[in-house]
Amino acid sequence: MADRPDPERAANPHSSERAANAHSSERASAREEVVIDERVRAAYRLPSPADEPARARLLARLAADPSKRTGWRWWLAADAFRARPIWVAAAFVAVLAGGAWLGSRVTPRTASDAVAIIQSAADPTTAPVTFVLRAPGATRVSVVGDFNNWDASSTPMEHSGSGDLWVLSLRLPRGVHLYSFVLDGAEWRPDPSAPLAADDSFGGHNSVIVVDGAPGL
Amino acid sequence: MRLVLGLALVVLLAPAARAGDAASDRARLDARLASDVARQVAALVEDARAAGLPTDPLIARAFEGASRGADAAGIVNGVRRQSGAQLAARGALGTGTQPDEIVAGASALLAGVPPDSLARLRLARPGGNLVIPLVVLCDLVARGVPADAASVAVVTAARAGASDGALLRMRERIHTGIENGGAPAGTAGDVVRQWLLESPAGKTSKQKGREPDPQRKKAP
Repeated sequence: MADRPDPERAANPHSSERAANAHSSERASAREEVVIDERVRAAYRLPSPADEPARARLLARLAADPSKRTGWRWWLAADAFRARPIWVAAAFVAVLAGGAWLGSRVTPRTASDAVAIIQSAADPTTAPVTFVLRAPGATRVSVVGDFNNWDASSTPMEHSGSGDLWVLSLRLPRGVHLYSFVLDGAEWRPDPSAPLAADDSFGGHNSVIVVDGAPGL
Repeated sequence: MRLVLGLALVVLLAPAARAGDAASDRARLDARLASDVARQVAALVEDARAAGLPTDPLIARAFEGASRGADAAGIVNGVRRQSGAQLAARGALGTGTQPDEIVAGASALLAGVPPDSLARLRLARPGGNLVIPLVVLCDLVARGVPADAASVAVVTAARAGASDGALLRMRERIHTGIENGGAPAGTAGDVVRQWLLESPAGKTSKQKGREPDPQRKKAP
């Protein structure tokens, strides 16, 4: 086959020379990149140069690490304790169960005592009060007052065995209360041992009790 | 910002809370009283609430009247007297008076103690609670001690620094003296004067001459 003239070469006789130069420069550049790459890799393999100030700073940071706190500092550290939520929940349930177990061991044996303890824990605004009345001949005695809506049937007193004493203990809200005794459902009688209130507009006097803050009442 | 929001909530919810209280009171009254009586008492209670007065004593007074067998007019009148006395007691005792003091002061006024005695008692114990002095004052009047003599006795003791316990012990001694035949006014004066002589606080107060001797006040 006869060589056919390259139209481009024919048009530009210097083009083949420029192409040869370009090829050689590309190869040189590739070799250069390989060399640089090998140098970088080698540099990474070398041990880091000893830098005493940097080492000192690093040790200082480690010494100040929160996880290294001991003694009372640990209790004050905000991030001293880390736990998964499931463990926190489990610990909470365990504390509740332990409290319930301890509570069951100190539960009083009588129902009245239990009620008293529950009341005092649930309602610290009340205080225990004992009413006593000597009422010879009475068959029924009750206490009426603003604490029971003046209902003669709601708070009967108990006859204390022999004699004519009638006794009732209950808890009243703190504050000033008016009250009276009702004998046999008909006779209203103020407490002879307590201060009197004013005429109540209905033809009688009531007694006054001040719950809390009145040592003599 | 939170404070502003909190105040706004309080302002917005206060009428609702008052409406709830009124409905609750009306239900309590309807359960014990005739409908017409309950309605009138509820109106008095609502007025008292709007005036910032304790309302439970009014409801209790209505229930007491019903338990004692009072008629409708008697119940409403009793509640009205109680409400008026509470208003007067608060006026006499001044702003910042505690609800218990208002109730005790109302009882003293209903017993016949003049309002200015309540004001003098407040001056005698500035900043202190007046429930026990008022209870003792009311008790003395209810047992027959004239209101002015009872007022002088209690105010004198309070100014001299008598504690609540001391006032209650004085009440018992006066009560015992009256039961033993002593004249109520004279017995009250004697007991307080004796306390002034015996108590260190009373001696100091008497030397200062801060309060006239109740026994001397009786003399013309």
